Amino acid sequence: MNMIKNIYIPSPHIIIDIIKETEIESTYKFKIDKSTFKHPSYGQFYEVSLPMIGEAPISVSNFEDDYVDLTIRKVGTLTNAIHCLKKGDVVYLRGPYGNSFPVDLLTDRHLVIAAGGCGLSPVRSVINYFYKNIEKLSKFEVLMGFKTINDLLFKYDIEKWEQKFKSLITLDQSCELWQGKPVGLITDYVGQVDFSDKDNMSVIIVGPPIMIKFTAEKFIASGIKKENIIVSLERNMSCGVGKCGHCKIDSTYICCDGPIFTYDQAERLID
Amino acid sequence: MKKNITKEEFNKIFNLLSEYYNVYAPVKKKGDGAFSNTDIIYYEKVTNYDDIEWNEKSTYSPKDIIFPISQTIMNFTYDQVYVPDIKSIKPIYILMRPCDINGIKRLDEIFLRNGVEEDFYYKRLREKVFFALIECVDGFENCFCVSMNANKSSDWDFAISNNKHQSLISIEINEVKNSKIKNIFESLFSTNTTNNNSNNSNNSNNNDNFEIFYPEKNFKKVTLPNVEEMPSFIYTDSKLWDEYKERCIACGRCNTTCVTCSCFSTNDLHYDDNPNVGERRRVWASCHIPKFSLMAGGHDMRKDNASRMRFKTFHKIYDYKKRFGEEKNHMCVGCGRCDDNCPEYISFSTIINKLSARLISKEKI
Amino acid sequence: MSLDINRKIIQKNAFRITKKRNKTAIRIRVPGGHLQTKYFSIIAQIAEEYGNGSVHITTRQGFEIPDIDFKFITEVNKLLAPLINGLECSIGVSIDNPEDGYPAAGIRNISACIGNRVCPFANLDTTNLALKMEKEVYPNNFHVKIAITGCPNDCIKAHLQDFGIIGMTEPQYIYNNCIGCEACVKVCTKSVTGALSLHNHKIKKDHRRCIGCGECILKCPTSAWVRSEKTFFRLIILGRTGKKNPRLATTFLNWATEDVVIQVIKNIYALIDKEIDKSLAKEHVGYIIDRIGFNVFKAAVLKNVTLNKEIKVAQTLVFMGYQYEKDVFMNLLPHSTF
Repeated sequence: MNMIKNIYIPSPHIIIDIIKETEIESTYKFKIDKSTFKHPSYGQFYEVSLPMIGEAPISVSNFEDDYVDLTIRKVGTLTNAIHCLKKGDVVYLRGPYGNSFPVDLLTDRHLVIAAGGCGLSPVRSVINYFYKNIEKLSKFEVLMGFKTINDLLFKYDIEKWEQKFKSLITLDQSCELWQGKPVGLITDYVGQVDFSDKDNMSVIIVGPPIMIKFTAEKFIASGIKKENIIVSLERNMSCGVGKCGHCKIDSTYICCDGPIFTYDQAERLID
Repeated sequence: MKKNITKEEFNKIFNLLSEYYNVYAPVKKKGDGAFSNTDIIYYEKVTNYDDIEWNEKSTYSPKDIIFPISQTIMNFTYDQVYVPDIKSIKPIYILMRPCDINGIKRLDEIFLRNGVEEDFYYKRLREKVFFALIECVDGFENCFCVSMNANKSSDWDFAISNNKHQSLISIEINEVKNSKIKNIFESLFSTNTTNNNSNNSNNSNNNDNFEIFYPEKNFKKVTLPNVEEMPSFIYTDSKLWDEYKERCIACGRCNTTCVTCSCFSTNDLHYDDNPNVGERRRVWASCHIPKFSLMAGGHDMRKDNASRMRFKTFHKIYDYKKRFGEEKNHMCVGCGRCDDNCPEYISFSTIINKLSARLISKEKI
Repeated sequence: MSLDINRKIIQKNAFRITKKRNKTAIRIRVPGGHLQTKYFSIIAQIAEEYGNGSVHITTRQGFEIPDIDFKFITEVNKLLAPLINGLECSIGVSIDNPEDGYPAAGIRNISACIGNRVCPFANLDTTNLALKMEKEVYPNNFHVKIAITGCPNDCIKAHLQDFGIIGMTEPQYIYNNCIGCEACVKVCTKSVTGALSLHNHKIKKDHRRCIGCGECILKCPTSAWVRSEKTFFRLIILGRTGKKNPRLATTFLNWATEDVVIQVIKNIYALIDKEIDKSLAKEHVGYIIDRIGFNVFKAAVLKNVTLNKEIKVAQTLVFMGYQYEKDVFMNLLPHSTF
């Protein structure tokens, strides 16, 4: 009986860096020892906790051999508490959980990523992967939408990305500093995507449920097959391992069958 | 091995069993009903025959023995994390009707086989649990176990019947299982009956050749939806679900009394007396109670009670089988506790029948 | 030959002077307000044979049969005997001769809400308690009104009685059964007194705010709240309607047991007997206590009463009521013999 593995025990990880992204979002860099802790894959999440405060699923916003980035927005008790932490403090992690973006299957394809708001966080590692391996794609385009200029995430990364591939940023609300740059919803800019090779195109869409729906519809209308559209869904995941039932939709447990689905799968999931 | 025994003999077996096991059975708690001067039946530790409520269905299922309502999963002391052990908990026998045995099997599927790995906390308690059957012949008012194919079970170490003999209790030991109760029973009776047949006048007249019966028919019958794939219109079919927006009050009793509801939430806290000491806790959750599907940031995926009713209905009689395979049964075992306990008189069996009828009528159109 | 009637005697016999000359009306007690239908035929017979075929349902849950000739009092009383036997004598009320009708009418019918025989909110069988109380206080000639209500919803309007008895339970919290769904917190906050709050995902109770209504128990989906073994009572006192100074009763005892409530009410009679202003046709108990003061009242009614350990006793009484004139309680004759 002592042999049963306790999948719920988190392990402590030290914050090695904190990058303030916006007023309410910061990226926390954790030191990860690959030999003792499982490394994530693109789009996976960790259950992040502070003892006596709480636990929540947070998707990996980037990773390298020796660290993992988690971009955390202040929305509740736990995330508020995390935002009070400093470099050197400890956060508990278990995971990584969920499936991942099939980066290998995207080889030689024309990839379009459309990310709305903090939806950019789970695809950031994918973008960074192809940034480093741009030759693996036939073409790469990224569309990003944010509410205001103050909500922009990963500015330091975007600057790099713009050098190598088309990285379009649109804001819902313009401002003086944004003069002459794209304004409006992401859906307004789907038309600017290069649809010359539709059958070889894959689209990744991440963001709020409404944004995913309308953006996907635009791509479908432009001739992209549903199975070539990949989305990452957000639900009230709690245990992360398919037991607690909070993230279940129909016969699907988002935490273990997802969070990444093709659009034809996702569209059949009715909450 | 089958035997008719007296109440005294039954209690003797109980005493011997209690040396190794905690025995849980339905117990009527006088005055513990929600309304004044009413009773409630729930599973508790028992030590003799008369502790047990043999005739009525328990208000709550026995699931909390394996899946406690509120369970500490970690203790925190400063930066130390401890997992509370359960070494001191004796192995457990649960005396259950067949629907509940089948219900626990459904929990096994979720906790042990769904997702990435086995659930540690469920498994370590589950390994201590053994089943005994309380014979159920007629079922009760709201039961529909026969429709759900959950009316029978052979997964028990021993079965008890109070229906075979006016004054004696009939016990059958499952020969297939190598159980402690088998040893106890053999030591008490098998030698006895061969040697002292003449002494034991009681036994000579008793027909020890009884059969344990199972419900073959219920008052309630449900017709399950006969579709491969739920058509998408049915998810938002207002004729089917809209009435529950108002009728359901989201109290969650259908979930808390259900033997197969397995959802839980995880809570952290620190003690008032020392903020450096606290715990992480697992507590039952209910898909009807607000906040179940609420995401951080305030978006609720199922806000109204009608969509929650639809979610639960499909969970119990469609999703589970779809996920775990045709050869499995549905999650719902038809124990009828949801119907017994709904304060608004919403009948789940009626919902299932309405759903099936709706699917058929729409197909024709 | 003109009628010669001793008004005091017929009033004690539960008959009364009515607006119509030579006609009286009989008032029938239904302690606890719950009546076997077999008694309807007696009431019907009296109304049809001696009255006008109609019956008034009183605010105190009795019946008043009007338009009876004074000369038929004896016959009416004879017909009433099985009803008095069944409703009074059988529950232990001592009545020497039921054939002579009701022996007293001062203490009014003890009314009760429908109680837990029907109502989910009721914390007790209120009719049963009314019957128990009836044998302790009846027959008695002092005018005292008692009503029993099963929960603080007070459907029987105990707040308008001399003694209002409100049934309570002391909810017991089973910590491990609580799933923190907050159903109890919601109902207590919205409909009751806000005694409950969520703390560390479990429930915290402010005992001072709890009024023992049992709503938390009714709402709990896991039976984490259960009823206390004992039923408790809040005894509210000296509420009244009436011309001079209507007011709501106020709490005298909180978390009292049944025994304490019964003893306290029994003790009121000696006090009334001692203090009542005999110069008046009748003096209502509330006005007696207004006159003699709360402390005298308290000492008298708590005399020889063993209080249960949970009980709380009022230090003072604060009433919500009004007078038509501000100086109604002032002595209007400055030179009278005060």
